[in-house]
Amino acid sequence: MIYLDNAATSYPKPRAVIEETARCMREYGGNPGRGSHPLALRAAEKIYECREEIAHLFASPFPENVSFAMNATMALNTVIKGVLKRGDHVLISDMEHNAVLRPIYRLAREKRIRYTVFPTFARFPERTDEDILNAIRERIRPSTRLLVASHASNICSATLPIEKIGALCREHGIFFCVDAAQSAGHLPIDVVRMQIDALCFPSHKGLLGPQGAGGIVWGDGVISQALIEGGSGYDSFNPEMPNDPPERYEAGTLPTPIIAGLCEGIRTLQTQGIARMHEHVCSLNKRLSAHLCALPFVTVHAKHHVGEVLLFSATGVPSDTIGQKLSSLGFCVRTGYHCAPLAHTSLGTPEGGAVRVSPSFCTEEEEIDEFANALEDALEKLKK
Amino acid sequence: MHKDLEGCACIIGSMTETLRAQRALAREAILADTVKADSGKSRRGCAYALSFSCTQQKNVQRILEKNGIRVKAYMGGDVE
Repeated sequence: MIYLDNAATSYPKPRAVIEETARCMREYGGNPGRGSHPLALRAAEKIYECREEIAHLFASPFPENVSFAMNATMALNTVIKGVLKRGDHVLISDMEHNAVLRPIYRLAREKRIRYTVFPTFARFPERTDEDILNAIRERIRPSTRLLVASHASNICSATLPIEKIGALCREHGIFFCVDAAQSAGHLPIDVVRMQIDALCFPSHKGLLGPQGAGGIVWGDGVISQALIEGGSGYDSFNPEMPNDPPERYEAGTLPTPIIAGLCEGIRTLQTQGIARMHEHVCSLNKRLSAHLCALPFVTVHAKHHVGEVLLFSATGVPSDTIGQKLSSLGFCVRTGYHCAPLAHTSLGTPEGGAVRVSPSFCTEEEEIDEFANALEDALEKLKK
Repeated sequence: MHKDLEGCACIIGSMTETLRAQRALAREAILADTVKADSGKSRRGCAYALSFSCTQQKNVQRILEKNGIRVKAYMGGDVE
């Protein structure tokens, strides 16, 4: 089997991740922040250790500003629903995932907020950062309270100029939330330099951790409403959630084994070198793109963006049919609309969506060549 | 006083803030243990605390203050 679906979840996980997840359950499976016996304290230590790793990775000076959630979707919901008040206006990009779109749509449907989508021109090779910034500037209103932007698209390798958008948001007093689901662990992120108020990330993609956790790196001094309320391990007679992060956003027991594994995933990244790993994946996708572009009936979408993912479609063959055929041949890819309907519309993909290929730093050139050859054969048969 | 808080201690609150305080002290070579404070003493329910040698009491206060760590109460030694 050749796994090319790392944008959905990274696989295989590093050995250290698997071992630490299991070690946690075996050796220090207490409830962090819920007691003072050795197992609970060791679990709490591990959680704090992971906050430190995440803060370091994203250049935040404050480990206590790292709060955990179930996944990036829950993290984004926490920010969106916690920051927005009735009457607020939100700006979102046309590359957003449903993790951003659906909470915004719901709040708008309930007439609590208004939103505007700004174009990112991802399909146009000649687009500039200034084009995107101008598109944002033109849509800012006095009531604009929040801007949510995907750092890297989940369907093509387009990225947004986060640092410049951060500066623009700061200039206008707009809360800046970045969806780093597809960039955390792949691209350098500095929450201070990029002036990010809330960075949302998953454990299980680029950070190489297990599924079941995600989180938020909050800007210094940022306090938002909690999404859910419950036990925080202290201050029990307070009828409200504590004021300070991270406990304010972490009602209930944390998934310590997952977080322990995530900690090792980040350490693996640091050891391997994020830039080196990213460069390897880019070279694989460039190679694949060159191969696919030579096929007359294949379109590589937004091929001028080279990064972690490659998106293609074949004239007259639905993406799901291609995916099923590839699966039967032992290749794992993702097909359809990838929970990003606006992004597909912006890129102009055909009805039925497209096929997304996302290799990893473990993928070898020979595997990409094998995939390309198998795809070419498969498409010829499917076209008949 | 809770039996774990014999000697000197400072009640902080959340586990995260307590661990942050412990790290700040460790950077200046002061050993402190994380313990659960007596729930009755913290007035609002559970809280975590650090216990440390009373010889370090003034240093602990200085370091925690320097690091912006809010202490709900100091216990033991001269401070209480």
